[in-house]
Amino acid sequence: MMSREKFPDDMLVCRCEEITAGEIRQAIREGARDVTGVKRRVRAGMGPCQGRTCEKLVQQILCQELRIDPRQTGRSTARPPVRPVPFGELAEGVSKNDL
Amino acid sequence: MIYDVTVIGAGAIGTSVAYHLCQKGFSVALIDHGDIANGSSSHCDAVALISDKAPGLDTQMGYASIQHYGELAKTFSYDFEYDRKGCLYVCETEEEYAAASAYAKRQASDGYDMHMVDAQTLQEMEPFLAKDLLGGIWTPGDIAVCPYKVCFAFVEEGKKQGLQVYPYTHISRIRLSADHAVEAVETDRGDILTKRVINCAGVWAPDVGRLVGLEIPIQPRKGMNLISEPTERIVWHKVMEFGYMMSKFESINFRRNVSPLVEEYNVAFNIEYTKADNILLGGYRGFRGFDVRSELEAMQAIAERGIRFYPCLKEINCIRSYAGVRPYVKDHLPIVSAVDTIPGFYIAAGHEGDGICLSPITGKLMAQLVAGEPTDFDIQKLSFSRFANAQQTA
Repeated sequence: MMSREKFPDDMLVCRCEEITAGEIRQAIREGARDVTGVKRRVRAGMGPCQGRTCEKLVQQILCQELRIDPRQTGRSTARPPVRPVPFGELAEGVSKNDL
Repeated sequence: MIYDVTVIGAGAIGTSVAYHLCQKGFSVALIDHGDIANGSSSHCDAVALISDKAPGLDTQMGYASIQHYGELAKTFSYDFEYDRKGCLYVCETEEEYAAASAYAKRQASDGYDMHMVDAQTLQEMEPFLAKDLLGGIWTPGDIAVCPYKVCFAFVEEGKKQGLQVYPYTHISRIRLSADHAVEAVETDRGDILTKRVINCAGVWAPDVGRLVGLEIPIQPRKGMNLISEPTERIVWHKVMEFGYMMSKFESINFRRNVSPLVEEYNVAFNIEYTKADNILLGGYRGFRGFDVRSELEAMQAIAERGIRFYPCLKEINCIRSYAGVRPYVKDHLPIVSAVDTIPGFYIAAGHEGDGICLSPITGKLMAQLVAGEPTDFDIQKLSFSRFANAQQTA
């Protein structure tokens, strides 16, 4: 059994949605096998930063719990916009570079 | 062991079908090539409405399904975020208002709780709505649910009754017996012996159909939504433009006064507020095969149309877009049917944008069909043989 010290159950992993390492482990027990599966079960990565902060941590927990390679944990689907942008700006038209 | 039924596809339809079969005492295997709710059921909006249904069978099934959701919300221990928030269809023009009035009157005469509200009532119900709208259709019984949680809920509740789930399982072959009846599903995790197969694979149902030589006429129809940052409440009900209905049913007699971009992407405004305080803003329908990338111009058109109805959106941040594919059938009716030529093979697919709404009733009807019981509705119109008949008479 790998040590859990690095991610104790009460550690906040996704700050935007306030999701702890324990909740992520619960999602994995419920069948999540990758970043998207965790996200859909407990919302980690669904907040304003879109997983920029927590995705790597979620991947590490997945590796630890499922004994898999980081590449097997997948990533959240990349979707525009890459940063929050007001609907008003979107409506005026944006180029690929803006998003 | 030989399963009574193997359900293929763990989306809103397959999970409901599997759950309802377990309820009837069948032994059930549920297979998906990925995770539960990994396809269309996690790339859609979050409502179940009768106010976007054509009068008749479509509305009847929608209504029965919504009532069934209410019962499931009470009995399930898994919370799928059932919320009876009601739906408002808003009208921009006299022409729309007249069409909406006729539609609401027809639905009300069939016994459904649906009526027109005037401009002032609209403002009281949705104070952030644009001030120039003429009124709309109010349907208090329409609901919201979290679509992927609906799938998880059916699976978790089904497991309590013996449901066996095989996620991340790839099917190589569906084996038929000498008399052409379903015998086994061969997968990369071994053979699953089964008396029946129900194809609930949505946009992927044609792939499953081809394994037994069937052509199932379902095409992927793309949809796209935008998500806001968590915000203060600006919207209380599901709110849609009446033009959405025209867009859904491809009414060619109807033209809205919209920009070329909104027209090009067939964008119809609809908005809802989620349990997590985000706003979902839609939507668009287009045929792009299985390409589910976010299209920047479609995002622009959705934002533009959203601001026309909720001007305060201008200042609110969009944090994400997402897109998925709906299982489209040309006559806008799902296929909920046995396949006469292959004993033990059934199809429940092709619900287009109504899969979430019709999930509970489809599960119930399919379980009745498999059990050989009378179905709650006459579902002859949903039979797979209608396509063969259409080809013969064409």
